[in-house]
Amino acid sequence: MGVDKPRTSLPLFDEGGRSYEHPLYDKLLSMPGLSVGVAPLDRLLTWGLTNSLWVFPMATSCCGIELMAAAASRVDLDRMGTFYRGTPRQGDVMVVAGTITVKMAPRVKRLWEQMPEPKWAIAMGSCAISGDFYRDLYPVVPGIDTFLPVDVYIPGCPPNPESLMAGLLELAAKIRSEQGKPLTAPVQKTGGLVATKPSIARIGDPERDPSLSDQQMEAASRAAESPVARPAEELEMPPVPETAPGTVAAPPTFAPELVELFQAHGVVDFPKDAPPVVPLARHVALARALVERGYKQLVYVVASHWLAGKGRSGNVAGGPEHHEVAYGLRTVGPKRGAEGGSKLAWWSVRVEAGGAAPTLAHVIAGADWQEREQWDLVGVRFSGHPDLRRLMMPDDWSGHPLRKDYPADAHTAPWR
Amino acid sequence: MEVALRKIQRPDPYLDIADVEADAELMLLHLGPQHPSTHGVFRIDLYLDGEIIVKAVPFPGYLHRGVEKLCERLTFVQQTPVVDKHDYVAPMTSEQAINMAFEALLKVEVPRRARYLRSIFAEMQRIASHLLWLGTFTLDLGGAMGGGTTLFMHCFRERETILDLFEEVTGARFHYNTHTIGGNRHDLTAGWAAKVKSAMDLIESRLSEYVSMSYENRIFRQRTSGVGVLDGALALELGVSGPILRASGVDHDLRRDAPFHAYDEVEVKVATATEGDCLARTKVRVEELRESIRLVRLFLDGLPEGPINGGKPIKLAGQYKVNTGQVYVGIETPRGELGTYVIAGGEGGASPYRLKFRAPSLHALSTLPYVLPGATLSDCVAILGSLDPIMGEVDR
Repeated sequence: MGVDKPRTSLPLFDEGGRSYEHPLYDKLLSMPGLSVGVAPLDRLLTWGLTNSLWVFPMATSCCGIELMAAAASRVDLDRMGTFYRGTPRQGDVMVVAGTITVKMAPRVKRLWEQMPEPKWAIAMGSCAISGDFYRDLYPVVPGIDTFLPVDVYIPGCPPNPESLMAGLLELAAKIRSEQGKPLTAPVQKTGGLVATKPSIARIGDPERDPSLSDQQMEAASRAAESPVARPAEELEMPPVPETAPGTVAAPPTFAPELVELFQAHGVVDFPKDAPPVVPLARHVALARALVERGYKQLVYVVASHWLAGKGRSGNVAGGPEHHEVAYGLRTVGPKRGAEGGSKLAWWSVRVEAGGAAPTLAHVIAGADWQEREQWDLVGVRFSGHPDLRRLMMPDDWSGHPLRKDYPADAHTAPWR
Repeated sequence: MEVALRKIQRPDPYLDIADVEADAELMLLHLGPQHPSTHGVFRIDLYLDGEIIVKAVPFPGYLHRGVEKLCERLTFVQQTPVVDKHDYVAPMTSEQAINMAFEALLKVEVPRRARYLRSIFAEMQRIASHLLWLGTFTLDLGGAMGGGTTLFMHCFRERETILDLFEEVTGARFHYNTHTIGGNRHDLTAGWAAKVKSAMDLIESRLSEYVSMSYENRIFRQRTSGVGVLDGALALELGVSGPILRASGVDHDLRRDAPFHAYDEVEVKVATATEGDCLARTKVRVEELRESIRLVRLFLDGLPEGPINGGKPIKLAGQYKVNTGQVYVGIETPRGELGTYVIAGGEGGASPYRLKFRAPSLHALSTLPYVLPGATLSDCVAILGSLDPIMGEVDR
């Protein structure tokens, strides 16, 4: 017996156009009086759900610490039936606590998709809500509701554990308000509590005025320039306190016993307020000599990018576009009276555009990651590096964000 | 295979896995970026021969927020609330590190009382940070179903007392924004010192409980003893600092060896250990808890009267003028040497031309390709936890 009449089933969930169709299910739906029968069951389910909201913590940064504190002794979310589960399969609520970056966002979305229905999402803290003050920066997603349906927003930086508790209660109230709706209808999540959404159009918004970014940039640069324009007599310099026996934050001074060593490696000028510049050809030999003299701890590798005509004052002022890479090494040893203690040796090299600095990774192993980071962010190349890959940005990222010609709010992210 | 790998002193981080002779096919396991033991968002690709790790490739950057770019368009006084979000377990010391660099650059002096306050805050922050670490570390080892939750609850109980005290002075549980160029913003409230002393007495009286629940526990010792051994020379080369370095037998602490704040006025006893394993790191941190309690009492007793900042604290960009100069200042935070490298670009700019943070956790994580090979997968969780990484600081 052929059945030709079209099915009248409602989609249980609609993923990619597929809806749940099952003959037995259709039969159940057509039974008269079933909705009356399952109504108490619906109430039971809602009661159970609202009293055991298991949280899948998507904790990335500071808010994650408050998320932990909420589960710990003082606030103790367990008494609300809220329990943290480390796997998306067992979670009801995803609490996104912290900044979500473009590198992390696809993972968050994937974890969200792995959570079984019914599920809810909470945006905890300013970063998850709007991106906070990172929102217009190149790697940050300006709010998780750009790619996730959020039910409850908990403002704060970070919100107290008590605020998190209030947010969970708010969510329970929302779930109760959805009680009694047909079981077959998929929960259409729009944007959650729209009222708390920031009113500024995001960079990705089609309504956003494209000139807004430029205006923000201009405002930022005006703010940075304004104190320069003020005449010197208007500056209110704070008086030096009389009780101060001496400045505490001592800037690194150049160790006198190193002068000879540096001169032997081609250094002619020792500026007071900047590291001496070492010729590229002698740079690795100098590092080796320093390590032999006890400067064994790698402290930093700092690259900076200078456009044509710019440059630090002193021996290398201005000139063509270049990078300057500063290195710091430390001695270790206990200080006994005036003897011993930790001394810092610093120097820098100048790398012309298109050139490369010889790597120190073979001299001091820690330079590996530091140089990778500087290549990734500032774009200075290191020749002979064993593993020059990006460290911070995704592998498919284009450009080096800390270069001075890189736009401050770049539109390169796929979310924007 | 296992014996052979454990004998290697310094594994090759650039090992080509095609060259590895394994009994069976190697398995690639992605640990993270979302994993409870990664303390945030961090991924390691582990190449496994059975349960033994042959090669480990860490991938940081999942929390890279571009802060150094942001700092280039903020004025010097606007930076403090930004750096709070780096080491969010110890924001006090993050603030101190950046403000001290600016003080060195702008040649601003700090009154003695402010230096004492900073020392007190730094030591209390170290206690709070180490307590959080101890709690989460045992949680990593024991898991929610083992005994790990107990110590986690105890440590957080004590940590809350310190957060309450900070909240009383600064108004915030964390992200204090209490330091400024040339001093502090908030002076102590009446009766605060007495509350701190009773909190210190409380924590000190409970330290023996932590010890019996952590490294006197047999299971804890089995999970940590001899696990993740880091050689002192390698640690120095990788730039590791703080408790991890001291647990590897290197007697180095900037509080004593390059004194800042008011540390030149007291004698700082530095805890060290020689084993370099996860157990030694635990012992060093617990010893540091004792030492910090002692130092807080010392600083409170010697707290001088006087101004907490230079009469008129620097609040506006117009109050200073910076021409050129480069400055690096590093201080000892709970995780090691946190430094700030500032380049002023000239022309009297109110913002730094380039700002670089030297994050101790990044250096700690760079040991993983050396420490993990030869360890088992379960050791990986213990090793990662013992390094105490804070991803906000690693990725910035």
